[in-house]
Amino acid sequence: MEAGPFHLDTYFLQHFQEGNESSFEEVFKTYYNRIVGFCQQFIGDKDQAQGVAQEAFVKLWLNRQKVETVNGIHSFLYTAAKTDSLNYLRHQKVIGKYRDKQLHLKEEELNREILESFDFDQLEFMELEKMIIRSINELPEKCRMVFELSRIEGKKNCEIAAQLNITVKSVEANMTRALKTLRVKLAEYLPLILVQLIMKNF
Amino acid sequence: MDYQLINKYLLGETSESEVRELFNWIEEAPENRKEFIACKKVWAFTARGNESEDKIWRLLFAPRLKRHKLIRLSFQLAQYAAILFLVFGSGFAFQYFGWGFNKEKLVYQKSTSITVPLGQMTNVELPDGTKVMLNSGSSITYDGSFALGKRQVSLNGEAYFDVAKDREHPFVVQTFLLNFEVLGTSFNIEAYAEDITINTTLIEGSLGVKDKSQNRILLLVPGENAQYDALTSKISVTKVNTEIYTSWKEGLITFRNEKLKDIARKIERWYNVKIIINNQKLGEQAYFGTILKNKPIDQILEVLRLTSSLKYRMITKTDVPTLIYWD
Repeated sequence: MEAGPFHLDTYFLQHFQEGNESSFEEVFKTYYNRIVGFCQQFIGDKDQAQGVAQEAFVKLWLNRQKVETVNGIHSFLYTAAKTDSLNYLRHQKVIGKYRDKQLHLKEEELNREILESFDFDQLEFMELEKMIIRSINELPEKCRMVFELSRIEGKKNCEIAAQLNITVKSVEANMTRALKTLRVKLAEYLPLILVQLIMKNF
Repeated sequence: MDYQLINKYLLGETSESEVRELFNWIEEAPENRKEFIACKKVWAFTARGNESEDKIWRLLFAPRLKRHKLIRLSFQLAQYAAILFLVFGSGFAFQYFGWGFNKEKLVYQKSTSITVPLGQMTNVELPDGTKVMLNSGSSITYDGSFALGKRQVSLNGEAYFDVAKDREHPFVVQTFLLNFEVLGTSFNIEAYAEDITINTTLIEGSLGVKDKSQNRILLLVPGENAQYDALTSKISVTKVNTEIYTSWKEGLITFRNEKLKDIARKIERWYNVKIIINNQKLGEQAYFGTILKNKPIDQILEVLRLTSSLKYRMITKTDVPTLIYWD
């Protein structure tokens, strides 16, 4: 998984704030798919998620002079994505996703709650990002490969199985393991009670 | 704790009954809910879209940024170089209509509006045979009376009109500030509502410019360029050499409030020349304009000199790029 973001020279932030297009282009290309992926988790519709993601970048452009640090850039993007995703959810009518309308409402409510709880305050967020990268790199080799193929490259379980020459069940098991492991390692940065974690048996 | 179920759900592969099972589990205990939320967050931060960033940047984003730049700068009184046409900006519409060139022949309709998304151009034929080429981010509207003879369209953005001759029925283009009355003509209007200047150049025919109360302000003849300054409400008319402008639709580059030094870099790239701007302030000045990409460099320089008093010196040598000085 890739390390930190773009080419960090001393003048990057200055150029970015001044509206240098290639600086902005670099930011765009680094973060676009991440923001789309993030929005899609809550919005569902791929095209709408793209629309929201693009709006976030436009906002970033308009407010580029207000961004004070390089880290502030992705903080801003995620915050904008969060706000716009919430707005989108608020204005969407409940479509027939499930036959059980109540179920759909529950799902939406939970999505909204999760979105609202995000606080991309710079420091905490930067730490979280680093932790994610580090945790993924610390996964056992096969586990990490499976996870990255699934999450980063978007491959299906059967494709991963074929590529790595393992069974689909093995892929599923590795994904589950990855999720558990990350979930534990990132617990510190997610709003959970640590005590409960110690008592869990993994 | 069924991580496999959570996993499956987050991947979007659960059936409705499995989703119900998951939510039942979530509602059983607050720890379950928190557990799920934590997993979802991990998922959200590791999720990736699979779009081609390059394509989206080039087609949808880069053009937008230029428009935004324009809004920011349009209230500075920059020096204008009206080479071809000037622009006023519109409220940009974030509309997605799909890719590709469109060639549409329109039939009579009640009220028709054609909008072109950013980064595209569209050719349209109106019911009377007038051909319109709409540029990026523009729209025109006309209603049913058009086909009955009242040839009137509203324009927001930029369009090139090749108006079908009809002496009995004047062709009127309404923009937010001025109306243009056309009498069998080829001309271009760039009318995006953001700018403070409207500019139009007449290639062929005659073009009347009226204000909103229908008073005729002036009548253009071919070879004339009229520039209307919305801040001062003044119009100035200059004679331009239209021969350079007739192949409008091929290889056109438009500068919207770009610094001269940036324009210089672009020219350097296309023509393999080296441009030196001695005066730093000059390099910082912003220019509007459109130039034809496939004209010889000396013609480009001449145009710039004539329309914006940009004096130049050209030194041609063999084996090295031509040197150009601007001051």
